[in-house]
Amino acid sequence: MRLTRTLAGAAALLLAVALPAAPQAGDVLTIVAPAAPGGGWDQLARTMARAIEQAGLARRVQVQNLPGAAGTIGLARFVTAQRGDPDAMLVTGLVMVGGIVANRAPVTLDRTTPLARLVGEYEVLAVPVESPYRTLGQLLDTLRARPGAISWGGGSAGGSDQILVDLIAQHAGVDPRRTNYVAFSGGGEAVTALLGAQVTVGVSGYGEFESHLTSGRLRALAISSRERVPGLDIATLRESGVPVDLANWRGIVAPPGIRPARRTELIALLDSMQRSAGWRAELERRGWSDLWLAGDAFARFLSAEATRVQALDDVRRGDGPPPRGTGSIYGRLTLIGLVLAAAVAFVRRRPAAAEPRAAPSRLGLLTLGMLLHLVLLQPLGFVAAGAVLVFVGAAALGARLRWRLPVAALVASALVWVLFDVALGVSLPRGTLWPG
Amino acid sequence: MMGSLGALADGLAIAATPAHLVFATLGALLGTAVGVLPGLGPAMTISLLLPVTFGLAPTAALIMLAGIYYGAMYGGSTTSILLNVPGESSTIVTAIEGHAMARRGRAGAALATSALGSFVAGILTTLALALSGPWLAAVALRFGPPEYFALAVLAFAAVVSVTSASLARGLTSLFLGMLLGMIGIDPVSGEARFTFGVAQLLDGVDVVLVAIAFFAVSETLWLAWRGTGPAPAPQLAGGRLALTRDDWRRSWPAWLRGSVIGFPLGALPVGGAELPTLLSYGVERRLSRHGDEFGHGAIEGVAGPEAANNASAAGTMVPLLALGVPMTATAAVLLAAFQQFGLRPGPLLFEEQPEVVWGLIASFLIGNVILVALNLPLVRLWARLASIPPSALYPGILLLATVSAYSIHRSPLDVLFLYLLAALGLALRGMRLPVVPVVIGVLLGPIAEQQLQRSLTISDGNWGIFATRPWAACILAVAAALLLTALRRRRA
Repeated sequence: MRLTRTLAGAAALLLAVALPAAPQAGDVLTIVAPAAPGGGWDQLARTMARAIEQAGLARRVQVQNLPGAAGTIGLARFVTAQRGDPDAMLVTGLVMVGGIVANRAPVTLDRTTPLARLVGEYEVLAVPVESPYRTLGQLLDTLRARPGAISWGGGSAGGSDQILVDLIAQHAGVDPRRTNYVAFSGGGEAVTALLGAQVTVGVSGYGEFESHLTSGRLRALAISSRERVPGLDIATLRESGVPVDLANWRGIVAPPGIRPARRTELIALLDSMQRSAGWRAELERRGWSDLWLAGDAFARFLSAEATRVQALDDVRRGDGPPPRGTGSIYGRLTLIGLVLAAAVAFVRRRPAAAEPRAAPSRLGLLTLGMLLHLVLLQPLGFVAAGAVLVFVGAAALGARLRWRLPVAALVASALVWVLFDVALGVSLPRGTLWPG
Repeated sequence: MMGSLGALADGLAIAATPAHLVFATLGALLGTAVGVLPGLGPAMTISLLLPVTFGLAPTAALIMLAGIYYGAMYGGSTTSILLNVPGESSTIVTAIEGHAMARRGRAGAALATSALGSFVAGILTTLALALSGPWLAAVALRFGPPEYFALAVLAFAAVVSVTSASLARGLTSLFLGMLLGMIGIDPVSGEARFTFGVAQLLDGVDVVLVAIAFFAVSETLWLAWRGTGPAPAPQLAGGRLALTRDDWRRSWPAWLRGSVIGFPLGALPVGGAELPTLLSYGVERRLSRHGDEFGHGAIEGVAGPEAANNASAAGTMVPLLALGVPMTATAAVLLAAFQQFGLRPGPLLFEEQPEVVWGLIASFLIGNVILVALNLPLVRLWARLASIPPSALYPGILLLATVSAYSIHRSPLDVLFLYLLAALGLALRGMRLPVVPVVIGVLLGPIAEQQLQRSLTISDGNWGIFATRPWAACILAVAAALLLTALRRRRA
């Protein structure tokens, strides 16, 4: 009883704290970062949020993380859930274009309303300082003679780093499928592998290499910009005879179905943001190159990038040697597993120690509660569905059925919702059946 | 080295003003309060709370951040022990023995050994970081994919040789876990495997989701099926700080071993506390004279992995500060925060901005002290939670588990996966197959596979790379020896 009263008190307190912060319609923008906290897209989203708020272009900007599969999960959710939402934007970039192609994602960027390209980073090819390769030309000579002798370390498979390696190999006359690309979990991990000379050459954004180039532990062979970057003594790929340029760009799109006038407004808002002093300071501090390109020009750029990446993917999937992978290892593992399972089946069963009597009806009740919860979660929202789950769960676990039980279940579920959704912004389903 | 200690003393003098201590306390409080919520791992907690520090001066902000950081980490352990709902892969091992202790009414002791173990490991390894950071970073670079693969094999060997009464049953569960871990995009070829066209499976099954399903939800189903029994009576009568004399005697060597295992492994640029916590668990189980208690709540099994977890977190600071490379999600969020405060981690940091480094290290020390001072008194309060009757506690756990699952992708599909995996867990229990090795398989399988594939790409398909690299060969030999002795012991 005391517990119930404490819970109710805590709920009231939390509501009082959290409600004033709850969003009101109109001047609250949402930026969806289709990646986990800490990554490049998340940083861009949070930096934008701050710059927009500081410049007074919106009262509040909230960032939502929707990570997964190179951003394609966030994209798919964005175009359906946020369709027609005039206050929502999604962070995108080259890695998402690569992910859409590599995963054959059903939802592409064609479905969105392109707004602007904002920032980017040029890719750098670098080797450890004690490496025998002094120029890109020398590296490519070896690559042509023995493609397997060069291991390229970069970020995840199909991302911007591997796209660049494939483009370079293609222009050097080498089948991209014969390159030894070592996919690390991110630029940082690739850089440490390069510092330890675990791979021949590293491919990553300039920012990942910067401090190691300055300190002289790594040597840059080429940069992927079209022209030389002022202040950097790094030859472009073109200078080294490879007519390729590429930036790991990041931009922003709106959902489908917004009015053309709203699109113009959003582009104007972004334009004011990118001119603001706060934004300029952030670019400087984070070492992002300004790649501002808005509206229709950005839309044309997007489709050109998609075409280029698609062409590479076609080459990779074309006839030829099968891609390296562990398909065969799987088969063997599954086989071992089956043998083990058979072994277990024949192992003598020890008589079980005195076990309490099974109660299938209670298990059935709990299963029913979980099914109900799944079915009700979207239409009725978290609070109602959660209350059902707690109520049925408690009944299945032997709680006495009294009038207090459903009330306690509802209070508990509401408390969790207030804590996570209202106070911390971890949004939970609100229910589609309720008005408003 | 004396210069380092002098610089550290200066750092402490700057950091330990009353105002800064207030910020550290506030940070630790907030971090614990948010970190204790299931489903919010340290990375998420820190990025949620980071804006709180923006208005502060850099030193104060760093100190508050350190408080939030340690608070978030400790909060995660609390959830694992009390509710069996781990928020991040680093506390999954804690949940194994920690929750078993809680169910025996020893939640207080589990929380206390976890808090003290984290504290001891935090202090020792922060000092180690101060003294050996740049040097260790250089050494760690020699470890490449072949060595990491060997380490993963060693962790397998350490855990498999001790996890189950029957080797065949343990291995069956382990392989099932590895199979689950293979769902998703092949890390090298980029091909989708076992995804059946479901986009959400492309990133694989989240190991935290698997752990919650197998530990928390399938436990609830099991209790509904087999009956709950009475709530465990809390045993708080123990000695000082909820630990009996025997607990102390069994805990402190585990704390030290955990620190020794965790710090260097955390410093390796491979990321994650999975390998260190599992290795520590395996080591404790092997060395313990109370081997039969493991699985039913052995205090060493909490003390060691918790110390290893915190030690590896300090170890992660080595590549973060000396190379500017974050190896875990939490470290990535911290790096973003450091950059906010004008700190530029990298090879030149220790030379160019020594006062910032020492200030940061001093902040970590202070954060550790504040956290343990704050949390030990709370242990008894938390421990009461474990004595809520099961018919009230488990429905609550179930609800929080669905929040954790839902918040991974904000999708009800993950709640469905949660329930399906829990049903699988129940089926395994019904067949008397152990469930812990399944979770370990999901945890370690992908690490081992990824490093194996990278090694073979580097060597252009030549398996000889594991024999010709001295470290890899040594570690693999140790793993083989472990397995062989385990087999002989079983026969004997």
